[in-house]
Amino acid sequence: MVRFENVGMRYGLGPEVLRDISFSLERGALHLLTGPSGAGKTSLLKLIYLAERPSRGMISMFGRDTSALQRDELPALRRRIGVVFQDFRLLDHLTVLENVALPRRVMGETEAQYRADVEELLAWVGLGNRLNAKPPTLSGGEKQRVAIARAVVAKPELLLADEPTGNVDPDIGGRIMRLFIELNRLGTSVLIATHDQRIIERLAATKILKLSEGRLATTNQAAHQPEALRA
Amino acid sequence: MNMRVLAPTTDLMPPDSASGTTLHTIVAVMSFLACLTLGAVLTLSRMASEWTEGLSGSVTVQLLPSPQIGGEDQLAEALRITRVWPGIFAARPLSRSEAMGLLKPWLGEGDVLADLPVPQLVEVTLTPGKQVDLAGLGKALKDQVPGATLDDHQRWNRELASFAASSEAVGWAVLLLITLATLAIVIFATQAGLQAHREIVEVVHMIGARDVFIASEFQRHFMWLGLRGGVIGLALAIATLFASSLMWDSRDAPVGAQYLPQLVSAPWHYVWLLLVPAITGLIAMFTARITVLRVLGRMP
Repeated sequence: MVRFENVGMRYGLGPEVLRDISFSLERGALHLLTGPSGAGKTSLLKLIYLAERPSRGMISMFGRDTSALQRDELPALRRRIGVVFQDFRLLDHLTVLENVALPRRVMGETEAQYRADVEELLAWVGLGNRLNAKPPTLSGGEKQRVAIARAVVAKPELLLADEPTGNVDPDIGGRIMRLFIELNRLGTSVLIATHDQRIIERLAATKILKLSEGRLATTNQAAHQPEALRA
Repeated sequence: MNMRVLAPTTDLMPPDSASGTTLHTIVAVMSFLACLTLGAVLTLSRMASEWTEGLSGSVTVQLLPSPQIGGEDQLAEALRITRVWPGIFAARPLSRSEAMGLLKPWLGEGDVLADLPVPQLVEVTLTPGKQVDLAGLGKALKDQVPGATLDDHQRWNRELASFAASSEAVGWAVLLLITLATLAIVIFATQAGLQAHREIVEVVHMIGARDVFIASEFQRHFMWLGLRGGVIGLALAIATLFASSLMWDSRDAPVGAQYLPQLVSAPWHYVWLLLVPAITGLIAMFTARITVLRVLGRMP
């Protein structure tokens, strides 16, 4: 689904923030991307969701070499990826429902086409009674769930989450991780960037990518099963 | 299911965005100036054509006192020659009070008029559509009636046409400048709006929005802004024009003011003025669209 080969990345003329990154993400799997703050996790995610271009190396997304893509081909590719941003990045002047519906709206769907799905999804993440609330009135956990709902509303093949438990308390964090496991069960590939050791220890990911100072230090198969989180 | 009707096309740009009150004010001022200028251009064009048509359809015989002929004989002779001249529809002598009336705007009302040796004037109306040998008529009058001259208004015609054409050109140039200034303002405001809402643009871009989708959000926002500003400017301009026409018509107006051109002198001019907000909206819309597409083109 996603393949990196000797990828390097720098911002402008600065030093490389990612160096010689090679890995692949399998379809339908749950992956973790770990590493300390500043290791380059967000930069790596940006490369995957096509917000940045690599300065060297090759990235293949859904079987296509991204360097060979025309600019007008990128939106279609991005729609196959859902992103939960670290800082949520909700639009404060839109309601919860409008925020979540945004990916469907940019696909050209009308409200009649997406409204029922959005309401159902919001009920599923426990926000069925907050449809018309604006993000500034939501708690951190609620914002996080809105961001997750927005990321999955268009049924992406790959879901990326950047520190999804970083802004919420452990209880909410656990619920959010269970949400990801459930989405993964339903067929979505999931890549979660986190440096939360509890999540890493408790979550059974098929692959753990560990970043350190811009390099992919290890690639481990996870040994644990996610039973603890399901309980 | 909650059946509340969601505003389905809630702007992605917040309503109180960068371009809010200040830009509305600027666009309203631009629209106001454009309306006044357009009104002036239309009126100049209409007046020039009216003057030219009015003057082309008539000529004036002027009879200055002459020692060789008495006043009544002079007038009778001039009328006789004029009325039988081919292509002349009518010849009517102006009374002294009518001649005085023509001088009033310049000299005011008072005893001074009574003492003036006002020449006798004959208003000659030409038959519409017929060629008239005015040079021949002028020569016949000059030869046969001492003190008579024919004024065919050609000098006035040429001067008026030249004045109207140059004034119109200036008006169109001002309209062009206003349009360019509006374009520049909208480009600046769009870029500022993109900068102020960079995060919104980035989020929408990253979730797979095509450039034209984002551009359409901006262009809709700016189209309404242009329309609203344009309507405010139009309303102010119409109020100004209406107030000025009242002032010109009032008894308190300065001497001669009623003879000055009113900026909008025909009802259909207001229809043209209605186009100003529409054009302002369209200019804002297309400018925003082009600006946004250019900026988005630089994003990955």
